[in-house]
This record gives sequence, structure tokens and C-alpha cells, in this order.
Amino acid sequence: MAAAFEYRQAEEIRDVFARHGIRYLFIGKSGAILLGFPDTTQDADLFADKSQENCSALIVALRDLGFTLTDEQASEILRGKDFVQLKNGPFDLDLVFAPDGIERFDDAWNRRVEVERFPVCHPDDIIASKEAANRVKDRESLPRLRAFRDYWKNRR
Amino acid sequence: MDQSPAAVRKDWLEEFEAAARRPLSQRVKYAFIRTYKPVLDDAEFRAFDTMAEYREWCETNLPEWLGYGR
Repeated sequence: MAAAFEYRQAEEIRDVFARHGIRYLFIGKSGAILLGFPDTTQDADLFADKSQENCSALIVALRDLGFTLTDEQASEILRGKDFVQLKNGPFDLDLVFAPDGIERFDDAWNRRVEVERFPVCHPDDIIASKEAANRVKDRESLPRLRAFRDYWKNRR
Repeated sequence: MDQSPAAVRKDWLEEFEAAARRPLSQRVKYAFIRTYKPVLDDAEFRAFDTMAEYREWCETNLPEWLGYGR
């Protein structure tokens, strides 16, 4: 089991992904935390563009970050999975290519928020994906997340 | 302790204000925690063709208390 995700690792994702031109966004609670939401989570969740070009670059970037992807695992990412869970690197990472509640990557990309050069889904998209996922843990976190969204919008 | 919706919302707003005063690096430091999640943490790699397939896997395989069920 990897240790808790650290800020320097978020910076590594940002810098390595930028170097490889990856199109991605922080999503889920990890995205909300980057926006200022005070809460806890375990994993970093990234919403990545599913294009072949992006996925090819993503595999190289993940290996640069220290993930030990086998060729078979890499080919699964290339084949266009909707969800990939990685626990074979320096930190745990969930890659989401088709989050519930968000129609297209480009839509979320156009609405993204940059926080210290971290590309983050707009809080409306984070909330939309949690509403659509509708798991017990989502339903528990949504009221506070909606209150944060309102607070965040008022501050801008 | 007052647990009315208005009181809870006021508490939240105070937390949001406090968080906004902290640097991002500090917010991240205290936000990411690590505890063992049975089954979920027992494989190094999983990939699902669709989100529906992933959700179904979670509901079938994960302990209910983890909160991944619907």
C-alpha cells in the first residue's frame, strides 16, 4: 500500500503531465480539495482525455512518475477503458476516462479551473459527477460540497 | 451543540474561510490520508471497460461500509 498522497506528488503529476502534453483534470474530492474544499480523501482522481494520442502520452508519463505498468496494462489503457485504478506506483491513482455526469472531456476542459497551474474540474462538474455516481459516500459528501461550491462562486 | 441546518452551514462556512487562509500545500498535506481499504487495495491494477462495469464490481465485491454501493 502506498503512503498518503503528498503535495510534491501533485506537483510531479502536474509537471510531468505538462511535459508530455497530457490533457487531464483533477476531479472528485481531490479536485475539490485543490479548489479549497476542506475535507479528507485517500486517492488522487484524474479525468483524462480518452484520445489515443493522449493515452499513449499518458502511459509514458505514468512510467516517468514511477508506475510499473506492464505492456499488457499499458495496452488496456490504450484500448480505451473508462476506469483504471493504479496501485503500482509511488501513490494510488484513479484514472477516469468517462466520469458519470459529464458528457465529454472537452466540455469539462472548457470549464476547468486552474489552481497554481493544476488543472481542476469546475466544482459544478465535480458535483455533477458525484450526483450521477450516487454512491452512499457521494450522497454523504454532497451537501457540504454544494455549500462549498456556493462559497467558492461567491468569492470569485 | 446546535445541529440545526443553519448552525451546520455556519460551521461549514467557517471551515471554508479557514481553509482559504491556508496555503495549497498545507491543505493537501492534511487532506490526503491513507487507510487500508479491504479488497479495493488488494490489487495493483484494475481496468474496467465502462463505469457501469466498475460500479457493479464495487457493489458486488466491496464491503458495504466502504460506501461504494448505491
